[in-house]
Amino acid sequence: MKRDEIFKTLKNAIIEGDAAKAKQTAEAAVEAEMDPLEAVELGLAQGMEVVGDRFECGDAYLPELMMAGDAFKAAMEILRPELMRQKKETSVAGTVLLASVKGDLHSIGKNIVANVLETHGFKVIDAGVDNGALQIIEEARKANADAIGLSALMTTTMPAQKGVIDALVELNVRDQYQVIVGGGPVSQKWADEIGADGFGQDAVQAVELLKSLLKEQL
Amino acid sequence: MIDFLDVCERAETGPLMTEKDFELKVLIPGLRGVVSEYGIQYDSEKPVPADDELADRMYEASVDYLTRVGVYCQDTNRVIQFTEEEIRDAVESAPGRCFTGEGKDASVFRVRQPDDATPARCHVNWGTVHSSREMAVDIMSTNVSHPEAKAISISSVNKTVRGRQVTAGSPLEMYAGIRAVKVARDALRRAGRPGLPMMNLVPAAASAVTTIGASGPQFGARPTDGWIIGIISENKLDYGAMNKVAYLLNWGANIGAQGAPSLGGYSGGAPGTAVVNTAYFLLGLVGMQADYHLCFPIHFRHGCCSTRDVLWVVSTSSQAGSRNIPVPVIWLGYMAAGVNTKMYFYEAAAYLLAACTSGADAVKMPTPAKGVKVDASTPMETRFGIEMVKAASRLDRQEANELVLKLLEMYENRIPDAPEGDRYQDCYDAETAKPGEDYVRLYNDVKQELTDIGIPLG
Repeated sequence: MKRDEIFKTLKNAIIEGDAAKAKQTAEAAVEAEMDPLEAVELGLAQGMEVVGDRFECGDAYLPELMMAGDAFKAAMEILRPELMRQKKETSVAGTVLLASVKGDLHSIGKNIVANVLETHGFKVIDAGVDNGALQIIEEARKANADAIGLSALMTTTMPAQKGVIDALVELNVRDQYQVIVGGGPVSQKWADEIGADGFGQDAVQAVELLKSLLKEQL
Repeated sequence: MIDFLDVCERAETGPLMTEKDFELKVLIPGLRGVVSEYGIQYDSEKPVPADDELADRMYEASVDYLTRVGVYCQDTNRVIQFTEEEIRDAVESAPGRCFTGEGKDASVFRVRQPDDATPARCHVNWGTVHSSREMAVDIMSTNVSHPEAKAISISSVNKTVRGRQVTAGSPLEMYAGIRAVKVARDALRRAGRPGLPMMNLVPAAASAVTTIGASGPQFGARPTDGWIIGIISENKLDYGAMNKVAYLLNWGANIGAQGAPSLGGYSGGAPGTAVVNTAYFLLGLVGMQADYHLCFPIHFRHGCCSTRDVLWVVSTSSQAGSRNIPVPVIWLGYMAAGVNTKMYFYEAAAYLLAACTSGADAVKMPTPAKGVKVDASTPMETRFGIEMVKAASRLDRQEANELVLKLLEMYENRIPDAPEGDRYQDCYDAETAKPGEDYVRLYNDVKQELTDIGIPLG
């Protein structure tokens, strides 16, 4: 397979969410002694961008995002050892710890945000649902996160978003993280009231918000 | 025929896998497979299709989907699987009705058919939050004063207990849950309808322990009321939900399975979401021993049920269910716009036309402002909903489709920036519980507009 063909196939494998094809093409890239960083940036990342754009236009949904993410990971399993061996690093837009707060079992909104962030080059650690404040902070510390995203879909779980921010202040680590909040009943007014750094109405807004919040920090 | 203990056993013995693998390797390919194999396609020009063959194909696709995918138990990381025979047995054994309420407010909640001339059952009020007990009682008692009201969703009262914010799963949630049931029963007594069934017990209770604790008869709940047990989106259950089923089965109380597939979420676009919504009627019967069902397919980005594609999901899955699955279903719609806006009424009219002519057994009066704003509902929306239910019973699916297309033109492009609208205290006189002149004028104007486009109101 020629170099340009490899880039194109990697890109298409992501768009089609074809993990087997992504892995196989990544192996071909390594075998051809291609620059692994180029394989990521000119192949995989471009495919992720297309899927992200399609999502923003309403032409793709969560399954397409998830399958693209899965294909990306499959290819990276092959390319990452090469990147490490050659001491090359892929660019990361930022590391974000996402969590649904204590008492909240809803995950779809959070998962959509996670997948859209990944298509835009963020490293996402998903802590899942029903997370206590200290659990979230510990996960953020372990992940060396730049930002924490807190999801709440019920009026009775919104106070737990405030609980996380209060705990960050109490532990004197508030300034280490940008904290954004989201979820059905959550608003900009609520974000301001509890001292969050921002509010995302939906996944696309969350990406823009994090890009702007982390721009100066990184 | 399997019973609930069989379901519990399968939660401990079914195939073991991570939740991510269930989503990526079972749910998504399973759903994509049936959507393609059964040729389920969305037609944006027909938000209310009059197509019995499509409805029956949708039903077959949903049986196949549930057989292929099953339901994932988050507490054991195992998939509870059902055979096609078990699913069809559950459908065959379903009674097609549910007994609700007591005394003169007792009623049988029955199934309807598409194009049915019998009006859908009117389910009034909302499970949303009001900031004071007085306001909640005023609104609930006015809403149930209509003789057409056959069931109620009770409100949540206040977000605080003695000044402290109620948080999910905390003891304060237990206090708030008990308070909501007591206040609602008092409101029903005040309206002279103490036996009316409360079908959304227990509102705003996130934890199973609150639902079960606040359901004690000493607080006013009765087995002829109804309890909502949510299926976690998509195709997931946890022990919290299963504990509620176990408790209600032992009590002999009405179990309502709740499904709310998210269009744009795991179920993808409109075809997948309609299949999943139909499959949830089946899951309620075979996996949760449900007596009735409550559903609200919802748009993942806009948080409402009035977009063109969600209306198609409502219509097609209602037709598939009402023609093939004899379980009574309450259809709940969240509107993007709020109280005292024309847009709310346009959306509510479109939603009710789509649902009622497609065989919806019961409709909840559409919820203003996506159901997330405090005090954002009034008896005026109930009055409108009841009039629309009667109007819809005079129409068939084809006529409804033409009207829904006209209504969509009136609001569709404003959904992303829908007006949030008023609160009760902004457009009602809180002392007399009567609507303000402005709201009455807006209501009459809208009613005239809708009559002019051909909706047979009044």
